[in-house]
Amino acid sequence: MSADVRILAAEPGCHLFGDNGCGFQAPTIKMFFPEPWFDGIPGSAGIDLYLVLLLVAVGAVLLLWSWFSKKLSLVPGRRQSVGEMLILFIRDNITRPTMGAKGDSFIPFLTAVFTLILAMNFTGLIPGMIPVNSNLAFTAMFALTIYVMTIVIGVRNQGGWGYFSNQLFPPGMPKIFYIIVTPIELLSVFLIRPATHALRLFATMFAGSLLLAVFAYGGWYMLNLTAEPMLAAVSVLFSGAALIGYVLFFLFEILIMLIQAFVFTLLASLYISQSLEAAH
Amino acid sequence: MDIAAISGSINTVGYGISVIGAGIGVGIIFGLGMQAIARQPEARGPLQTNIYLGMALVEALAILGFVLAFAVN
Repeated sequence: MSADVRILAAEPGCHLFGDNGCGFQAPTIKMFFPEPWFDGIPGSAGIDLYLVLLLVAVGAVLLLWSWFSKKLSLVPGRRQSVGEMLILFIRDNITRPTMGAKGDSFIPFLTAVFTLILAMNFTGLIPGMIPVNSNLAFTAMFALTIYVMTIVIGVRNQGGWGYFSNQLFPPGMPKIFYIIVTPIELLSVFLIRPATHALRLFATMFAGSLLLAVFAYGGWYMLNLTAEPMLAAVSVLFSGAALIGYVLFFLFEILIMLIQAFVFTLLASLYISQSLEAAH
Repeated sequence: MDIAAISGSINTVGYGISVIGAGIGVGIIFGLGMQAIARQPEARGPLQTNIYLGMALVEALAILGFVLAFAVN
């Protein structure tokens, strides 16, 4: 049964009210595994769409910031003040609440992380493209960088044993509680925290672009102008509903991309702040 | 004859179940967080930090459910 559907869906002109009787083929996770164009590198998935989109995102961020910082002056012009607004946003909403004034040296790094993640999410808004962060490899590299950074900064600021004992044996509780708390902290800080840091961004981008693809595929499937006039009118109505849904979820997706980039940067800043000083 | 046969992937059902707890937890965290900020707006900074830290911990379960829904066949 399912094999027949797949064969029929591969044929062009599979529409609602069509006479070949094929059903709707929903987009599958195959859309996140594009065929590599050049597949000869050992230990790699080859050069595929993701690499091109990544280069586009990196290029866009480099262009944006070099444009913002061109001809810097003490009294900012219009272009420079937009860039400064972005940096002030990072400072006032991300580093200051988490790290205080000590975190000001992390503003450039976190601004770069925020804008790069945002650009990597926004590649999904190009019609027919997918966000770079819908591949776990890219978000995992971001999270791994933050994870290594937190450990290095923690060891540097609190000493090798001091950092790990502050994380594993939170001060200020009866000794007997450590039987329960220490395994939980070990699991949560050193395993679940970096894993979910990567997976949160990946999962929302993955699910969001799959949702948009369902609306796009469904709208195209339900549009059938070659059917009888009455049915064609109904199909246009259905397809229009799918188009409205697509536009609404497209706007919603922009919001999600902004929020997820913000949350990723905020959590990175939070994790770094816990390495800067012990919890109290 | 099967009366209640399920075809296809039931992993999505598992994901739905795993989301229930995380949904309740995130709702409680943000609801009480908003309440705390409304009661004491000057403590917004540390409260917001703790809200997001709690969200990150609670949401982990939903995210694990999402991943396992795709990873387990």
